[in-house]
Amino acid sequence: MNRLLRDLLVALALGGLLALLPAALRELFGRSAVSYLTLATNALLLGVLALSWDMLARTGQLSLAHAAFTGVGAYSAAVLLRFAEVPVWLGIPLGGVLAALLALVLGAATLRLYGIYFAIATLAFTEVLRTVVQKLPAHIAGGAPGINVPPLFRPTFVAGQMERWEVAFLRNQGYFWVYLGLLVLAVAISIALQRSRLRSAFTAIRTNEEVAGVMGVNPARTKLVAFAVSSFVAGLLGAVEAHRLGSVSPDGSFAVHTTVLALVTPIFGGLYTTVGPILGAGVLAALEETLKRTFSEGYLIGYGIVLVASILFMPRGLVGLLTGIGRRLTGRGSRGAGATTGTLDGTPLPSGDPPSASTEAKP
Amino acid sequence: MSGSGRGAGSALRVEGLRAGYGKITVLWDVDLHVDEGELVTIIGANGAGKTTLLRAISGLVPVRAGSVTAFGARRLAGLSPARIVRSQVGHVPEGRQLFPLMTVRENLESGAEYLPHARASAARNREFVYGLFPRLAERAPQLAGTLSGGERQMLAIGRALMSDPKLLLVDEPSLGLAPALVRTVFAALQEIRARGVTVVLVEQNVQQSLRISDRAYVLENGEVVKAGSGAALLGDPEVRAAYLSM
Repeated sequence: MNRLLRDLLVALALGGLLALLPAALRELFGRSAVSYLTLATNALLLGVLALSWDMLARTGQLSLAHAAFTGVGAYSAAVLLRFAEVPVWLGIPLGGVLAALLALVLGAATLRLYGIYFAIATLAFTEVLRTVVQKLPAHIAGGAPGINVPPLFRPTFVAGQMERWEVAFLRNQGYFWVYLGLLVLAVAISIALQRSRLRSAFTAIRTNEEVAGVMGVNPARTKLVAFAVSSFVAGLLGAVEAHRLGSVSPDGSFAVHTTVLALVTPIFGGLYTTVGPILGAGVLAALEETLKRTFSEGYLIGYGIVLVASILFMPRGLVGLLTGIGRRLTGRGSRGAGATTGTLDGTPLPSGDPPSASTEAKP
Repeated sequence: MSGSGRGAGSALRVEGLRAGYGKITVLWDVDLHVDEGELVTIIGANGAGKTTLLRAISGLVPVRAGSVTAFGARRLAGLSPARIVRSQVGHVPEGRQLFPLMTVRENLESGAEYLPHARASAARNREFVYGLFPRLAERAPQLAGTLSGGERQMLAIGRALMSDPKLLLVDEPSLGLAPALVRTVFAALQEIRARGVTVVLVEQNVQQSLRISDRAYVLENGEVVKAGSGAALLGDPEVRAAYLSM
């Protein structure tokens, strides 16, 4: 069995196991299971968002346009449903496709931009898009208040056969499974990228675009592929989230907060890997919830401190930290010149200390 | 590396080449030619335009005027680097430019990965590279970022050889290397030439590079000011005074 198929089967099996979580939570916590399930759903959402951002980051592009892609996905689903009564099963994928098409336009326009200039251009793009949507005639995009979007799941309360909290649980369970499906899809795409020639093409472009060129990589085309794939997943996510939240609005759907979460989570979990963004999402979602419950006021200060500390002390994120611990436990010392290790999805990491920021910087 | 010994055909012809960066023109009407199977060195002071010349041939710097033709008919000027390498023109960039978080083997494989013609001959070329630099075979599973300077240079040359070039452009391979390693790298370049690959070498180590060259060009302020066989230029009083402090 080749490695790609093996990894996909492992991802599918883990997804299948995770699908049993709602039943387990209900069994374990009863009425309280609703809040745990909401937390798990938020973690899945964050995982999909972070993984989709990481796919583009692998080419070295620090995009601040992720809110634009989720926003376009959300508005596409909402507008298509409102005017064309496009069924949900078609509207959500169309949200992804439209986000990908928009990403191709943005990608083509920003191909020659690097670093901070690219980041600023993508941030500006999000703001322009938000303003355009806000200024569109209200009968099209709903103006500043936005558009209502029907939920995907409407469990009905059956008196005598169920308790009130079970309605909320069933609704959340539906979204949990949808987000789990999206995460499995994102993981499958990420693994396919990592196991294809694109992995080293991404690495080459990120490390040195000129060298990538003399190796036969077409940097422009490769970056556009990353842009399209990343934004397709983000668009799907935005479309589903529109249904979960029940509405879309310029300020909500194109919020900078979405972009910040999209980039902070993979950095915290471990960049350029499949596992890192998911691990980061799980830990950050749990951390946020714990801090919220502990310090209802000002919990974001604690959240910020943890993020700053993690960037300072875990330059390769949780994946790097865990890999290092694993090496020490298994006795595969880090000092041997010949030592090589890998992240959980096969991306090799250097032995010894983490690389400095300049290790992969352009010369 | 599909060459089969020295031939009479032209591997590279550069005519009236102008190239530069932004508003600055670095190369002014450069003419040179390299026959198949030759090892030709470009020497010159810092800032003479040696690296820019190789970069213009590879498509990394846009050609403003003039022409670059490979193997008699393939016009390279205006093509992207990715298209040029498909014409079997390999480039070992200055400063090695490896992928430090990839292993030696992965760095080597990346040289052939995107080129259909090179993928077909990857196993043969890998064997050649390992034969040329046995150290790379020993270090195959090691990360490139952990290699010494000499090993990195070997890997940079090896990666370019994996692209199955008929013409190899090598930029300052001796930079920062100990004398013994410089000899190893130059010996390897001779072996590559012996295999039928045409080599264009840019070097500041004038004495050693001229010794192994069939011919050489001297570049000053973006213009070719002298050309001749390696031996003739080694004996040229002006070259000796300017570059060998004799």
